[in-house]
Amino acid sequence: MAATAAIAGLGLTDVGKVYGRSATDFAAEAVRLAAADAGLAITDLDGLLVSPGTKGSPKLSLQKVLGLRDLRLLAEIHALGASPAAMIAAAAQAISSGEATAIACVFADAPLREKGSSREAFGTQRSLPSGFASYHLGIGAITPNLFYAMAARRHFETYGTTSEQLGAIAVGQRGWAAHNPIAQFTKPITLADHQSSPLIADPLHLLDCCLVSNGGAAVIVTSAERARELAQPPVDILGWGQAHPGQIMRQGSNFGLRTGAAVAGPAALRMAGVSVADVDLLELYDSYTFTVLVTLEDYGFCAKGEGGAFVSDGKLGPDGSLPCNTGGGQLSSYYLTGFTPIVEAVVQGRGQAGARQVDKKDVIMVSGSGGVLEHHATLVLSGASA
Amino acid sequence: MNDTATWPPMRRDAKSAEFFEAASRGELAIKKCTDCGRSLAPEAMVCTDCGGSVPAWTSASGAGTLITWTTVHKAPNPVFAPMVPYTVGVVELAEGPWLYARITGEPRAGAALRAEFVHPAEGESYPTWVVTSGQ
Repeated sequence: MAATAAIAGLGLTDVGKVYGRSATDFAAEAVRLAAADAGLAITDLDGLLVSPGTKGSPKLSLQKVLGLRDLRLLAEIHALGASPAAMIAAAAQAISSGEATAIACVFADAPLREKGSSREAFGTQRSLPSGFASYHLGIGAITPNLFYAMAARRHFETYGTTSEQLGAIAVGQRGWAAHNPIAQFTKPITLADHQSSPLIADPLHLLDCCLVSNGGAAVIVTSAERARELAQPPVDILGWGQAHPGQIMRQGSNFGLRTGAAVAGPAALRMAGVSVADVDLLELYDSYTFTVLVTLEDYGFCAKGEGGAFVSDGKLGPDGSLPCNTGGGQLSSYYLTGFTPIVEAVVQGRGQAGARQVDKKDVIMVSGSGGVLEHHATLVLSGASA
Repeated sequence: MNDTATWPPMRRDAKSAEFFEAASRGELAIKKCTDCGRSLAPEAMVCTDCGGSVPAWTSASGAGTLITWTTVHKAPNPVFAPMVPYTVGVVELAEGPWLYARITGEPRAGAALRAEFVHPAEGESYPTWVVTSGQ
């Protein structure tokens, strides 16, 4: 399909252990950076979509922080890790319908505090809960690590997937991170390093788990036509899709085996008029190595249950045949939920990725995943300049 | 990890009172749809099958199967530092619903489980699940 909307601007603040700034501060900076990157004045924006971080900000009030007047589109969009892709899809639709002409989509978060560990940033209970929440706390079943570990364990037991196979994903992404100046971890790792990294929640090791970062990211979505007159090479938005299976935890549940990616991915590819065989570059949400593996299966890059064997030859890494998470991803680079893969997709799509730039970028498939594999959003982007 | 008194205490609220009250008697309470008869998780407020809006409390057998699990090595919160490693998992009740639960014994996929009840000094009684030797 010919794209009607494109990503024309990208803004990324300093990310990682960056203290003394609120999520709203990061969000405002990201929007300003994105507009400037596109060659637009902040007053050229007539749409703003905001995805709140862990503490509920940034909010709609970001409009006033930025001094944006007479907006024709303003909303908070919250689908956890699927939010950024969902915002960009909503923006593309608003561009197509003529509802707005230049829309900023932004997410920011500041969970890290100066003396706190990453674990404390997301894991501290401020006051003891009651009811069923107190049951879950009282049995020690809290934090995403445990629930993703149970998802991965089910996949292991059902299909024979192994920790070493997950390790191949971590090793490949660290290989890419070595070429990304903003990655937090760039020192190469081996499969042995992965295996000897501490067990967090069996079967997940430390090197299976993403980072926690402070920072913000934004993009400017405008028409594909206008994007070609602006400052940066356009990255066209070819297709999108969401899926929220609402899986019920009972006999017959696919928990850990199949996710919304199995619906959202094919829908986005269909809209774009392409198939998995056409995909040049993958930027996948990688909260855990396992998230990448199950998404590859659900998107149809390999058969269900064969994700472990599929990744084990290192094909996702810098020397492989299917470039994936070329900036190092959330595992090695930084964590801004669904914006981590989107930012890298835009940089690659523009041909601005330096030493890690891939040759082919006509079809870039991007995923966002929220909750414990509960919410999924896919984008199909293209860096083919016209 | 066997010092149950150190686990964060559970407290009942209106929606969970029957679950904890049953646990104090050594029984497992779940919900059942009064319209279609589907067994539902204890926290169900509507029937996820037929949409029936008033699930009633019922007694479950306390037999289950282990679907998946994790043995936790890094405490998810400093409170759990004295308890690691411990195992939590997903139990499929004989009646169908799944519960997150603490598991004791050697976990394996499909293992038969039996509910046992913990009566801590502080907080509510609650079920844990033991891998039985049979299967």
